[in-house]
Amino acid sequence: MTEHNVPSSLSDQITAYAREKHLSARTLARWHAWPVEDQTALLGLACELQLNENHLRDFLDWLEEIAVRDRCTVGAILELPQLRQQLGAKTTRNEKLKGVKEALRKLRYPCLSRLEADLRAAVKALALGGQIRISFPPALEGDAVTFTLTVRNVRELAECLMRLQRRLEDGGLQRVFDLLDQV
Amino acid sequence: MKWYQPQEIVIEQGEENAAVVQRALVRLPDVPVRIVARGWEQAAAAAPQSDPFAAGKRRLLFARRRSPFLEHCPAGTPGLVCCNYLVVSLISNCPMDCSYCFLQEYLANNPTLKVFTNVTDLLAEVAAVVDRQPWRQFRIGTGELSDSLALDPLLGFSGDLIPFFAARPNALLELKTKSDCVAGLLAFDPKDRVVVSWSLTPPEIANSEEHGTAPFAARLEAARRVQAAGYKVGFHLDPLIEYPGWEAGYHETVAQIFATIDARRVAWISLGSLRLTPALRTIIRRRFPRTRLLSGEQVPCADGKWRTFQALRVRMYRTVTRWIQEAAPQVPLYLCMETAAVWEKVFAYAPACDKEVARALIHPHLGDPAAARPLPPVSRPQ
Repeated sequence: MTEHNVPSSLSDQITAYAREKHLSARTLARWHAWPVEDQTALLGLACELQLNENHLRDFLDWLEEIAVRDRCTVGAILELPQLRQQLGAKTTRNEKLKGVKEALRKLRYPCLSRLEADLRAAVKALALGGQIRISFPPALEGDAVTFTLTVRNVRELAECLMRLQRRLEDGGLQRVFDLLDQV
Repeated sequence: MKWYQPQEIVIEQGEENAAVVQRALVRLPDVPVRIVARGWEQAAAAAPQSDPFAAGKRRLLFARRRSPFLEHCPAGTPGLVCCNYLVVSLISNCPMDCSYCFLQEYLANNPTLKVFTNVTDLLAEVAAVVDRQPWRQFRIGTGELSDSLALDPLLGFSGDLIPFFAARPNALLELKTKSDCVAGLLAFDPKDRVVVSWSLTPPEIANSEEHGTAPFAARLEAARRVQAAGYKVGFHLDPLIEYPGWEAGYHETVAQIFATIDARRVAWISLGSLRLTPALRTIIRRRFPRTRLLSGEQVPCADGKWRTFQALRVRMYRTVTRWIQEAAPQVPLYLCMETAAVWEKVFAYAPACDKEVARALIHPHLGDPAAARPLPPVSRPQ
């Protein structure tokens, strides 16, 4: 079915939603250009999560990109159990939105998401304590790993440094750095 | 490959008798011709079109270039390793229409396919720079703002450029193409001063994303022909595109190259990840809504461009590099628009300066074995 065959009620509903959320003309045009079934599926999601322009643009981008990559429809993606599970969670709208976006990002960026999860697990396994924070560059682009030590005195600093020294010696920190290159 | 056929030829007043114009008019006898005043292009480009970029490609304008021809390659971005490459542009815009092409953004306001008529000015400008510094080696390419050879059957620029560079011991011309238009080159002796290079992606990507280009097999066959005619050839696996099945696709691509081409006469192979500005992504989305290019795991990088995220593209570089090194360990390899950190991860080596990359690419052509220093082979295990 093409844009011209869209039942007026669906088109009207999407237009009304766009007006309510002050969506840009470009975003609305992209949405309208989808097959009817996909327009409908996204409308359901948008109403449930009250997506604004920025969130909706992310959803449009990711859903289109996954659909092209996996040769499937947007409707089929939105029916995937990992998304349905997040949508069915009994929680606040904001938490639900966060969960759905995270689940969709995992579908869109499977290797990157896996690597991020592996790094989180490797850092957790170091058991460095709450005063030492290890952070990675956004989207793991670049090599700079940031170590943040939060201490109130020299004794705490010495303890942090000792914990790090132990992890240097047992190879735990090396494993974290090695992981950065492993996909 | 389907040859370029413009809908209209537009000639800037005073350029009607330029040699390149005359050549084109003979070869396009049925295309309507208009003579216009200087500055016509700005007014024409303002006309509304549904796809002004595609429309611009179908309008062939001949005009004088009034700014310098010789420029540094814009890939020399701060923070990225550069290969000290110079470019000259005799043509602005390209008859082909690759979905990832940066010209869609770069020439968005100026999309007419423009051919500069004053090739003698270009040659004089290059001679002034190259001949006055005989101690320095130059690599100069024509493939920045257009395909170097796609219009050669029409314009015949190879006949101006190849003899000029063949006579210069300290300058190397690179003709970079996705075409199979090499017939015009075969009569010349390049004297090892001309490298004809092909941008290659696996056939499934070439077929779906590189509109109007020669098929993969035709490009390789053209490379074989020019190599047999005495030219060195190069290959650019750039953009290197991550898609489901990229490993099989690129493995076969590398295998096909070395099944067809004599590796001893390959000047260089470059690799460069697909890189797209946010604006270009928007344009691609609009012009090629079914493209698979945007579905890779691309993220924004420090220079503002989106690339496959670092760990994955390093893996791609290492993997493809390993296949090339297994097939042809002597071929110099380099990365385009990458950081020293990525070079280090891929080659276990990062050049100390831009000149080091350029030297490694040029010196094998000078017959000076002592100076030859191919970029090092990959030493990391996969």
